[in-house]
Formats: sequence, C-alpha cells, structure tokens
Amino acid sequence: MAEQGDEWAPLLMAANAGDARAYARFLQAVTPVLRGIVRAKGGSLGTAGCEDVLQEVLLAIHLKRHTWEPGNPVRPWAYAITRHKVIDAFRARGRKIDLPIEDFAEVLAADAGPDPTEAADMAKMIGMLDTRSATIIRKIGLEGVSVAETGAAMTMSEGAVRVALHRALKTLAILRERHVK
Amino acid sequence: MKTDDLIRALAADTVRRPHLRTTLVLGMVPSMAIAVLAVWFVLGFRADLLTALVTPISIARILLTGVLGLAATRLALMLARPEGGQVARLWPLAAVAAAALGLLVWAYVSTPAEARQMATVGKTMTTCLVTIPLLSVLPVATLLYVLRQGATTAPMRAGFVAGLAGSGFAAAIYALHCTEDSPLFYVTWYGLAIMGVTLVSTLIGARALRW
Repeated sequence: MAEQGDEWAPLLMAANAGDARAYARFLQAVTPVLRGIVRAKGGSLGTAGCEDVLQEVLLAIHLKRHTWEPGNPVRPWAYAITRHKVIDAFRARGRKIDLPIEDFAEVLAADAGPDPTEAADMAKMIGMLDTRSATIIRKIGLEGVSVAETGAAMTMSEGAVRVALHRALKTLAILRERHVK
Repeated sequence: MKTDDLIRALAADTVRRPHLRTTLVLGMVPSMAIAVLAVWFVLGFRADLLTALVTPISIARILLTGVLGLAATRLALMLARPEGGQVARLWPLAAVAAAALGLLVWAYVSTPAEARQMATVGKTMTTCLVTIPLLSVLPVATLLYVLRQGATTAPMRAGFVAGLAGSGFAAAIYALHCTEDSPLFYVTWYGLAIMGVTLVSTLIGARALRW
C-alpha cells in the first residue's frame, strides 16, 4: 500500500544521513501540507498567526528529526508534531482546541500565496539571540548566504558556523518555550 | 521572517543528533553497572545467590521486576517519538502487575496464618524502601533524559513509564542482595518502592518533558 506522504521518507532518510539538499526538499515538500493543516485547524489565529505556528512546527520538526524511525511512515510523525504545536499555540493564547489527528489527512495543502506572510514571532525570537547567532541565522536564512561564505564573512571556520547555527536554532526553540509558558 | 527564509536556515544546519536508542544504551549501561557495583560493594550480594537464582520463588521477583523494566523501557522509547502517544499501549505493564498480585495472593494462601505477618514485615523493610529508590535515581534520570531528547506528546505517561522502568531495574538489582524470598514481603515492599519512584517520575515528566 503506497500511502500518500511516503515520498517524504526517502528525503528525510537522506536528510538524517546529512544530505542538506534532500533536507531542503523535504522541508519544502512538507511545508504546504502542514500550512494547510495549521490554517484549517487554527484559522482563528489569522494568516500571520498561522504562519507563526507553522514556523514553530518546522523548527520542532527540525530539532526533533532524529525521533523519526526509518521504516515508519513520515506523515503520522509530522502530524503528531504539528498537532502538538497547534494545541500549544492555542494554550499559549489561553484557548483550548480539540484536534482529532484522523482529520489531518483530509486537509488540502496550502501555498504561502503570492505575497508570502511575514511571521513576526520568529523574527522577535531571533532578536533575543546573541548578536553572533542572530547574524548567522539572518545571513543564511534571509540573505541566502552559504555556510562557507558566512564563515568567511565572520572569520569563523565552516564547522564553527554550523555548530553555532545548530545551537542558535536550539536556543530559539527554548526561547519560544519560555515565551509561551 | 518568511517561512522560506526559515527553511533555508534549517536546511543549512546539518549537525546530526544521535538516535534515541543509542543515547539510551549509552546511558543505561553505566547506570545499571553502577547500581550493580553499589549493591555488590556496599550491601554485598546474598551469600546463597547461585542457589537463589535457581529457586523459582526467589528468581520470580528478579524476573517480574526485570520484565517490568524491559516492558516499560520499550514503552518509553515508543513514547519518546511524537506519534508514540497514539500507539503505545500500557496493558503489558498491567499484566506484570497482575502477575505480581497473583503471586501475592498465592503466597498469602500458602503461608500459614501465624507466619503471614512475619513474612510480610520481614527484617529489611527499611533497607528495601531506601535502597530501591536510591538505585533508581540513575536509570530513571537516564530515561527522562532520553525522553527529553525525544519528542513526547504524552509527558505524564512518559514520566510514568520512565519511573516504572528505572525502578523495576533497580528492584531487580536490589534482589541480588535481598534474602526475603516471600512474595508477601517483596510484592508488598518492592511494589511500594516502585510506586513511590514512579509517582515522583510521573510528576517530573509532566513538567520537564514538555517542548
């Protein structure tokens, strides 16, 4: 039985083995589907609010990607993380939401739209990082500079940039947690 | 920040994190080894350990607590995954508890009425109630750490199974020292020690395993 979403498994497997390009393709493939779910379930948060939650989901997927068990379908795993974060987002706003995971598969994927929404939360959180970490995330994310070039610009080795980036992303998740609770 | 920008930053982070099973093994092997060594050097193994290991009623408690430890560890690994909350079933743990209760009832019936109280209270109740929680500290901490590295969507349940797993193993190790072979003693007091540790671990899990 070829379940929908199984095409994600080889990408995530390659990603977990260190293939950055497969990983980018994986994230690009799951994003519209997860955005669809977040918007269908959390529509009352508004478009920008939904994009905030989506980014949180993506950050969580990123930091927890080693918890996916190769051989298992990716979809239930990604849905469980999404559900967890949507519930969290509602709780943070002092609201409750009931999210049966069975409904997730029926939701249509959603593109960001012609004018992609600027989500505010992540930028705020990046602003709370130390200058070096924030610069690394901004260079690589917003300016699309490669890790090697970022290293050259900041007189850091490529490896040091990678470690700093990893730490910065972990810190973002912790900041978010504190911010929310 | 636009989502595409975030994706670019995420994709550039290629630092790999170890598989949860690897973390578990790396933590559990030394934790258990330290517990065994502590029992060996501080309390000493029981003198008739080899005989005890082939005596059914005596080995039963090592088996029961060991199986509890293994079953609960398996559940902890399951619950460490985000979708684990949907698939993990706790009934195997109830089966172990039922077996222990069955043993307790059997011992109650087969022990002469006048000997029951002595068999239940035993001579080492305090040592048992202090040592098992102490031996549980490292295994439970290891399991909670693994769960924290994971992504549980059921923090309380995860803390619960971590407590059962760690204290189950601790009780099995303590049984290498303990000479109280009556189920009236060990189901009662081992059980109480395990429940105490599990309660604490459940409360820790509910708080510390959120993400």
